[in-house]
Amino acid sequence: MPPTELSFDPQRIERPDRSLLWYYVLVAAATGPLFPITFLPLFFKYETLRYRFDDGGVSMSWGILFRREVYLTYRRIQDIHLTRNLLQRWMGLATVAVQTASGSATPEMSIEGVLQADALRDHLYREMRGAKGEDAETMPTPDANLPEDEALALLREIRDALNGYAAAKPAAARNSPEQ
Amino acid sequence: MDTLPQLTDAPRGSRVAWIYGGVWGVLARGFLVPEEPPVLPSLRGEPIRSFRPAPNFLRYLLYPSLIGVAIACLVLLAVSVGVCVAAPALGLPLLAVSLPVIVFWVAIVVLAVHLRYDTTWYVLSDRSLRIRRGIWIIRETTITFENVQNVTVRQGPLQRVFGIADVLVETAGGGGGVGQHQAGASPAHQGLVEGIADAPAIRDLLTAKMRTSKSAGLGDDAASTPRTPTAWTAEHIAALREILDAARLLSA
Repeated sequence: MPPTELSFDPQRIERPDRSLLWYYVLVAAATGPLFPITFLPLFFKYETLRYRFDDGGVSMSWGILFRREVYLTYRRIQDIHLTRNLLQRWMGLATVAVQTASGSATPEMSIEGVLQADALRDHLYREMRGAKGEDAETMPTPDANLPEDEALALLREIRDALNGYAAAKPAAARNSPEQ
Repeated sequence: MDTLPQLTDAPRGSRVAWIYGGVWGVLARGFLVPEEPPVLPSLRGEPIRSFRPAPNFLRYLLYPSLIGVAIACLVLLAVSVGVCVAAPALGLPLLAVSLPVIVFWVAIVVLAVHLRYDTTWYVLSDRSLRIRRGIWIIRETTITFENVQNVTVRQGPLQRVFGIADVLVETAGGGGGVGQHQAGASPAHQGLVEGIADAPAIRDLLTAKMRTSKSAGLGDDAASTPRTPTAWTAEHIAALREILDAARLLSA
């Protein structure tokens, strides 16, 4: 893994890469004479596209007439799809589609124009639920940690102390019950 | 299951393998199809396994398509021969054209099936699954077992003959399949592990994870709920009874 991926910081991502615009140009060009109609929305999407990655989630906003802002938390990610078609591979782009448990089949968020898509995907994977196996870690294993069970040792200590107290002071305790 | 990454069983050193390697070279360099298997980041040092479908999956794909091609070829040949008998002047050129067409067709089918097999990868860790599929559009799906809602094992009659099965892993949220017509979208909320020999092993791994999971797999955080020490044993109870007795003695 190259060092650039280790130093990958998603919080620095705010705008899609410039090559996304060229990708949109080519996608729109593929429609032939419809180029102006298809390119205009894509152009404005590129121009207004903003990402914000924070500790808990990611938000993505775009649109010039009709604005949209999608926010989702990492922990609610259900599955991550990294898709690259031939054109995207040639241009070093990818689509990272993120799905939550909502009912729609279309991805809740399609992150486009990030050059380090693999690193981004792995970042999302690290933050999504179940990737770290934290449940397995906190699961108590009763028999394994019994010998050095601190709670049991403490309880025994309390018992011994109480027993000692009860053995030493029964007479005194009975002689002055009014206290 | 511990299948090592290797290209399919084209005979080594033969001309076929050489051509196939050339096609792979073009795909890898010109079309940037990744040759190396996908990996998952190992977050807590858990083992990661990358594997392909079972070798029988290749035969399962190949044989029915070859039978289809063979039937079509027989029809083509019969027509050519029939025309030959009726009008040799027209039929002989037709036969001369149709033979290369058949050879080319078979080659394309074999190539396509091998490429499909060689570009299908599954990565498995203790906690998650990654699937890579596709040549022109390469799709990689990542699912953690914590989010899995149900696991389906499917096996058709032909698959049973070849000893393989498909495992369909579904997460919460509907609309699988509806998203397929959308350009570039994978089937939503599901991961298909097709053509593997030990489907029950993967199913058991997943169902065991689902059984021990404390959450419903909908983003609820099992680790955040306060966990009381439920691991108290009979010894704890005995010690507590003795404390109670001592305390009673004190207060008496």
